[in-house]
Amino acid sequence: MIHSERMIEVTELLYKEADLLDSADLDEWLELYAEDGTYWMPVTPEQEDPLNHISLFYDDRTIMEIRRRNLKHPRAASKDLPIRSSHIIGNIRIVKGEAQNKSEDKMTVRSNFHCAVYSNNKQVLYAGTYKHDLIRVDNLWRIHHKRVDLINCDANLGAILIYL
Amino acid sequence: MTYSDQQLDELVQDTKVHRLVYTDQTVFELEMQRIWGKSWIFIGHESQVPQAGSYVTMDFANKPIVMVRDKHGSVHVLHNRCGHKGAKLVEKPCGKNARFTCAYHGWTYKLNGQLVGVPHQKGYECTGFDKADPEYSMQPFRTELYRGFVFATLSPDMADLTTWLGASAVTIDNLCDRAPEGEVEQAGGVLKFEHDCNWKLFIENLNDTMHPMVVHKSVVDSANTYIASLPEDSPHRIEAEIIPPFGASYEVYEDTGITGFDYGHHFDGGKTSIHADYSVDPEYKAAMVASYGEQRTDEILGYNSHNTLYYPSVTFKSAVQNIRVVRPISVDKTIIETYSFRLKGAPESMFQRTLLYSRLINCNGSMVGSDDLAVYTRVQQGLLSEASDWVEFHRNFGDDEDHGDRLTNVGTSDLDMRTQFRAWKHYMTGAPLSGSSSAGMSSPKTAQKEATS
Repeated sequence: MIHSERMIEVTELLYKEADLLDSADLDEWLELYAEDGTYWMPVTPEQEDPLNHISLFYDDRTIMEIRRRNLKHPRAASKDLPIRSSHIIGNIRIVKGEAQNKSEDKMTVRSNFHCAVYSNNKQVLYAGTYKHDLIRVDNLWRIHHKRVDLINCDANLGAILIYL
Repeated sequence: MTYSDQQLDELVQDTKVHRLVYTDQTVFELEMQRIWGKSWIFIGHESQVPQAGSYVTMDFANKPIVMVRDKHGSVHVLHNRCGHKGAKLVEKPCGKNARFTCAYHGWTYKLNGQLVGVPHQKGYECTGFDKADPEYSMQPFRTELYRGFVFATLSPDMADLTTWLGASAVTIDNLCDRAPEGEVEQAGGVLKFEHDCNWKLFIENLNDTMHPMVVHKSVVDSANTYIASLPEDSPHRIEAEIIPPFGASYEVYEDTGITGFDYGHHFDGGKTSIHADYSVDPEYKAAMVASYGEQRTDEILGYNSHNTLYYPSVTFKSAVQNIRVVRPISVDKTIIETYSFRLKGAPESMFQRTLLYSRLINCNGSMVGSDDLAVYTRVQQGLLSEASDWVEFHRNFGDDEDHGDRLTNVGTSDLDMRTQFRAWKHYMTGAPLSGSSSAGMSSPKTAQKEATS
C-alpha cells in the first residue's frame, strides 16, 4: 500500500527539508544529507550526466559547506537583502519498480514542487520535480542524492541564490 | 532624441564616461547599429554543426539568425527570416535537416539560404516576382572562421577577421594548442544567465582586477574557512585551487598586467594569472608532451591569461577552456551564455574541470557570478541618479606603454576601459582606432610628448 509507514516517514522528511530551506537553516539542512550526498539541478530536461554536461547546481559536501558559510557571510552582495522562499511539495510517490525500493535501506522518492523565491525586490516562481534517493544511516533516512528538474531549466534564468 | 557624432564623442572622455552610455535606450540602439552592426560578432564553433544540414539558432544583436553547415562542408550564417512574409524560419535551438521550410506558406530554402521552392507559382507569373532574385533568399552574413571559431559581420567594409583579431588571437591559439590534437570541440551544453544590466557592465568587469577581493570576499572566506577545518590528510580538492585565488591581493593582480589591442580587445595576465597555479593532470601532461615535446608543452601551459575580451561579443578563458558570449537585449538587460570546450586528445578529467569551473564561477547558481551580477545591477540602478553624470576611470592614466601592436600597463590599471572605449568611439563616431591625439582618447604618453616638443 502507498500509505505505508514508509510513506509517512518520507513525507515528513521532504516537508522537513522544505521547512529548513524556507527557514534558511543550512546547518540543520546539511544534517539531512549523507556524508557523500549530492544536490543536482540539471540545465536540460532528462539530462543524464552531471559530470560531462554543465548543470545549474551539482554540489557535493564541499560546495554545500561553502554555501552554508556563504549564506551567513555579511559581505555577499547578492544576499544583502533578505531572501525568502516558500515551498509547496505534492504528488509524493515512492516509485514502484526502482531497484532501490526493494531494499530495506534505500528508497527513491519522486515529488512535484512549486517554490516562490523573493530576493532583490523581485519574486520568481520555480516549478518542477524532485527525485530524492534516500539511504538509511543509523536507522534514520538521509538524502543521498537530490535531483531538481525545473520545468524551465533550459530557459534564460537569473541568479539562483538558494537551494530549491 | 538622437545623438550627433559630436555629442557621442563628448560622452566618452580620456578618463570618464557619461552615465547615458549605460542608461539611455537611444544610445543602446545606436550601439546595436554601429558597434554590433559593424564589428565581427562571435557566432559559435563549427563543432556545433558537425554534419551537412546541422544547424543552431541564436540571436545576433536581437535579430534571429541560424548557423548551418551545407552539403559541401561550408558553414553559413544566415538571417533566420523567410524571404516571403518575414516569418522566423527555424524555430528549434538546434537540429538537422536537408532544407529549411517555412511553417507559414511552405517556402523552401537550400542550406546555403537560396530560395528553391515556392508553392503554387502560377499566381506569380508576369508579376515581376523572380524566385532567383537573391532578395527573396535567406540573407547571408559575411562569415569567417578562425581555428574553428565562427564570426560574422553585417559590414562589408570591416577588415578581415585575422586583421581584426590582430595579436590578441594568441588566446584562441592557446585554447586550441592546449588540446593534444590541436583542436577543441564545443560540448556539455550551454548556461544562459540573464543579467539586469547594460552589456558593457559585464565586459568591463572581466579585467577589472580591483573588484575580486571586495566582491568575492564572502565566497573566498567561506571556502578558506571550510578548507582550514578539514584534517590535513584530506584528499586534494580542485575547488581549493579555483575559488581562493579570487581573493588575491592588489599586488598579485597588479603583477598580472593588462594588454590592450586595437578594436577594443584586451586581456589580463599572460605570463601569470589567477589560473596559473592549477595542478596539471599527469595523464594530460603526458599526452601534451607526446604531441608537442617538453619545451612547447611548457610554453603552451605557461601562457596564462585570465579573460580575453574580443570586443564586444565574446570573452575567452583558454586556461579553463570556456567562453562567455554576450547577447544584449536592451539598455538594461543582457544574456550571458557560457560554452565549454573539450580538448581533443585530453583525458575526460580536463573537461570535467572545465565544467566544475563554470559551475563554481560563471553559473546562475554560482556564488561568484551572482555577487558580480549584484554589483552590476547596483551600478545600473545608481547611474539613474543625476547626482553626477560621470563614471571615472583614471587608474594609471598617462603611463600605458605603447608596443606598436598593443598597449600594456599594470593589472590594476584602467587600460581595459581605455582600450574598449577607444573602440567604442571608433565604431560610434568614426574616430581613429589606435591611440593618437586626434582620437580624443589619446595615449597620454603621446600627449605628453606632444606637449613638450
